[in-house]
Amino acid sequence: MSMLNPSAGSGAAGAVTALGGRSAVNETPRVAPWLLPLILVLGIFYLYPVFDVFRLAFMRATLLDNDGSYTLSTLINTLSRPELGQILWVTVVFTGASVIAQQALGLVIALVVVRGEDRKLFGTTIVRTTALIAWVVPGIAGGIIWKMLFNEAPFGGLNSILRMLGGSPVQWLSDPHIVMWSVVLSNVWRGTAFSMVVMYAALKAIDPVLYEAAAVDGATARQRLFYVTLPQLRSAILVNMILITIQTLNTFDAIISLTGGGPGRSTEVLSLYTFNAVFRNYDLSVGAVLSILMLVISLGLAIVYALFLPKEAKS
Amino acid sequence: MTLKARLLTLLSAAAILAPLSAASADDIITGDTVGPADAPNKMTFRMTTDGPRNNDPALAAKYSKLFNDFIANHKGWQIELQMMSGDIGQEQARMLEQAKSGNAPDCAAVDSFVLPLFKKAGVLKSFSPYFKKDDIDQLFPFIRDGITGTDGQIYAWWWSTDLRVLYRNKEIIKDAPQTWDETKKAALASVEQGMEGILFNGSRYEGTTFDWLANFWGQGGKLVDEAGKPIFGEGDNRAKFVKAVNYYRDLVESGAAPKRVATIGNYDDFNAAAAAGTSALFVGGNWQLSQLKGALEPEEFAKWTYSPLPGPTAGERSTGTGGWTVASFAKSEDKVGMCAALAREVYMGPANEIQEQLPTRADFYTKYAIFSSDANKGFGEALKVGQARPGALVYPEISNQIQIMMGKVLTGTEATEAAVDDAFKASMEAFKRLQ
Repeated sequence: MSMLNPSAGSGAAGAVTALGGRSAVNETPRVAPWLLPLILVLGIFYLYPVFDVFRLAFMRATLLDNDGSYTLSTLINTLSRPELGQILWVTVVFTGASVIAQQALGLVIALVVVRGEDRKLFGTTIVRTTALIAWVVPGIAGGIIWKMLFNEAPFGGLNSILRMLGGSPVQWLSDPHIVMWSVVLSNVWRGTAFSMVVMYAALKAIDPVLYEAAAVDGATARQRLFYVTLPQLRSAILVNMILITIQTLNTFDAIISLTGGGPGRSTEVLSLYTFNAVFRNYDLSVGAVLSILMLVISLGLAIVYALFLPKEAKS
Repeated sequence: MTLKARLLTLLSAAAILAPLSAASADDIITGDTVGPADAPNKMTFRMTTDGPRNNDPALAAKYSKLFNDFIANHKGWQIELQMMSGDIGQEQARMLEQAKSGNAPDCAAVDSFVLPLFKKAGVLKSFSPYFKKDDIDQLFPFIRDGITGTDGQIYAWWWSTDLRVLYRNKEIIKDAPQTWDETKKAALASVEQGMEGILFNGSRYEGTTFDWLANFWGQGGKLVDEAGKPIFGEGDNRAKFVKAVNYYRDLVESGAAPKRVATIGNYDDFNAAAAAGTSALFVGGNWQLSQLKGALEPEEFAKWTYSPLPGPTAGERSTGTGGWTVASFAKSEDKVGMCAALAREVYMGPANEIQEQLPTRADFYTKYAIFSSDANKGFGEALKVGQARPGALVYPEISNQIQIMMGKVLTGTEATEAAVDDAFKASMEAFKRLQ
């Protein structure tokens, strides 16, 4: 490791020089011409839409009309809507439960797969592939699949199984206290594969010497997990949590096809509320304010996670 | 090149070209276009499944023939077909946005309930020069009002309509319920025979609002005033609104309807329940009669019939009417004319006939034999108390609020009056913003 750091440092310094940064000979900073196409693409396709969202947030623009004047009223009225508190709470529960469950399940599956590979057991590839199938299913399709399973009709998927086993049917989607967990379950089913892949890659990168040393010291399986594996996975877990938090915050396709946000507003998360503002109520400015709110929440959470990253991972 | 190689090349070329030549001879619908590729005039048409891309192969073939015949009568034209996804609300909003920025298709299917928004946005081209006064006069009054702008011009052609009725299994429920009380009794009687009770849309879905509104309209209730301002939560209207919501609430709380109605947001669920034999009563659309005919065995289908939606009393009835229009966003006059011709020659009549979609003209019920059937005559009769959704800008948000309210009421998480007041307050806020 110590041999790699100097070369990485010199590489970075070299890059700064190539980019026209202040070098030892005090050259004037300039933008390298080869960066211009990238800056142009990013500017047109990423920065301009973001700028436009901020501009719309300070207007009263709908799909039908925009008087062109600027105002703070949209921002104030949108953020003081009475239902926003409930929407944010639903978002927190949905995102929190989904992220924790996806992370935990992803880690468990990855540990099982790696352990199975170490022991050369049959079926590890099948487990990995099966988990990935759920991940590649589009959100809308996933929502429809789960809607069929949660269907509370006498012929509904899960309730039919429960009846066969002698159990009582469950109001998966019509009970406001259960529906959120049904939605979380469908989201976890879909999202766990991503966490599994990240955890699997991180587990494979752990130096086997550490486990050998732990074995020499007589560490139990539990001690190896808590004192070797998890500390070594810390960076991967935090990076994974940043990614799946942002991904879950933006999830609305699976919810729209499963519950549409109902009953009432029981499962209406912020992203779905934003979608409804634009595509149901045609209100571009309210949609822009809500989008900025989502951006702020995502950035805030990303910063909080990043603060917990080990220094070497940050660099 | 050896003789064998030449022979193989010739065979390969023949194999590739043969289907192409056959296609050009019999069918000029290739991929996403109708008409010759070298046609000097092209028109884009964004459509629903009411066209050559219908999911039912038999209907798709019939539509393909209509489009082929149409393009054969309009030499020098090619139509580029663009399909909408199933999320109609999103598709229509996107199209409105495209129209505002000048990028909309030349011709498109516009849902009748968002037509007022398109008219208000001033993005539609007048169809008045392309339709005879006789044609326009034959339209049902609510249809004519729907397509006419403030300047008296027509801005779309509303070619199909639909309505909501009460379907029942005659073997289980002999007589058609006329009132809300009779409906509840019939549903409870069906529950005693092992059925689920009455089914209706009750989730976050436009159909939830639209199907239920008949109960409010039947009492003479009004959602908005002449200026488009919500009034359903004020005075006499509020009392009628609360009464109609309590009707649905009572159906669930009494066990006449299963709690799962709060999760239903798709008419196909009713067909599934009918096919599974788990329900004997549901609020559905007129188009479901032919769907049931296709889904059920003949002897099972014979048990099913429909009747007008019940009201608080037998004399207080209504039903929601919707449907599809064809409208033009084209910048050039010839494309507007071509779009109007498509509406007139393909959709006004022929499409109604092949798809059994109810026509919007009174004379078509006698002109086309298929609409002279008892079932379709019954639908035509029920249309007399039909009511379209208000052409107010705030309607989509009112509908959204009614769906939210219905979820709270049907799951018992909020008192009816409080839920109605919340819905009204939110609708008023939206109205103020849209001013």
